[in-house]
Amino acid sequence: MEMNHVGRILLTEEQILTRIKELGKEISKDYKGKRPVLVGLLTGAVPFLAELIKHIEVPLKMDFMSVKSYTGSSQSSKLAFIHDITTNVLDEDVILVDDIADSGHTMSAIIEQMKQKGARSVKVCCLLNKPAARKYPIPLDYVGFEIENVYILGFGLDHYGYYRNLPFIAVCKED
Amino acid sequence: MGKNRIGKILVTEEQIVSRCKELGAKITKDYQGKTPIIVGLLTGAVPFVAELIKHIEGEIVLDFMSVKSYQGNIQQSKLAFIHDITTCVQGEDVIIVDDVADSGLTLSAIVEHMHKKGAKSVKVCCLLDKPDAKKHPVNLDYVGFTIENDFVIGFGLDYNGRYRNLPYIALYVLD
Repeated sequence: MEMNHVGRILLTEEQILTRIKELGKEISKDYKGKRPVLVGLLTGAVPFLAELIKHIEVPLKMDFMSVKSYTGSSQSSKLAFIHDITTNVLDEDVILVDDIADSGHTMSAIIEQMKQKGARSVKVCCLLNKPAARKYPIPLDYVGFEIENVYILGFGLDHYGYYRNLPFIAVCKED
Repeated sequence: MGKNRIGKILVTEEQIVSRCKELGAKITKDYQGKTPIIVGLLTGAVPFVAELIKHIEGEIVLDFMSVKSYQGNIQQSKLAFIHDITTCVQGEDVIIVDDVADSGLTLSAIVEHMHKKGAKSVKVCCLLDKPDAKKHPVNLDYVGFTIENDFVIGFGLDYNGRYRNLPYIALYVLD
């Protein structure tokens, strides 16, 4: 594999797996007696979600949605909903799962959308949090790791579509 | 929770992971110097894709699609494409990844769909194969485990949306 963009490793595979186990336990405890619907955001959340659900011991459903954000010529960026969930979340407890919380734009829009769909509760679970990048306030209920505001790749995070399959998270070396 | 529907474990978590390692190594070898596009079928393929890609050591692109099959009142069933891939596969090497190959209806249609989109090559990788359920011929290039024509749950496979999060594959206990 051409590893041209793979820089310093921020989180090893072992660190990631250990932390996800803890998050799974926390969710199992918080949702005891409930049946949450986990909604993953394509494509980046897939490795995280797949690992997370192994450690959730309450019955759950999972679904996915795809949202793209386009940055315009001005400061504002627009969102396009490419694929919506097919599960009915009316009166359900939804947990939104994503790889990283950066600007918070996508996540804040999806929280709003889930509420409009009539979800009873909406919580957010992100593997990574970049507080320094936040532009839209979002409540993060479950966070794997807080990281500095650097461009990263691996474990779902990509550089032009590549490197999602790396089992660790590393700093992306720009060209 | 009602009656426990989780029956005999057919494939353990350890067996799944070690087989994914083997399949990943084989794909790595077969696609050396290439950048295959891995297309997972939502929702069942997610745990398998996530485990598989960890063990593919080349550069890959990851995408997902969603297809539902409806059983009509006659013998034939129809497919509805709910969400298509967003990656351009023209001239690319595609690997379609699914949890189980049963009737082969969905997989054979998606192979055809990828050829129509101009893919250079299309291969199919399934965690499970149920040869006795096959109605539509489909060429399976990579298979994790061959099983009997039983109703199975876990590691992505569901019953009414549940049990996908089990880290192993078990028989579903019918009434």
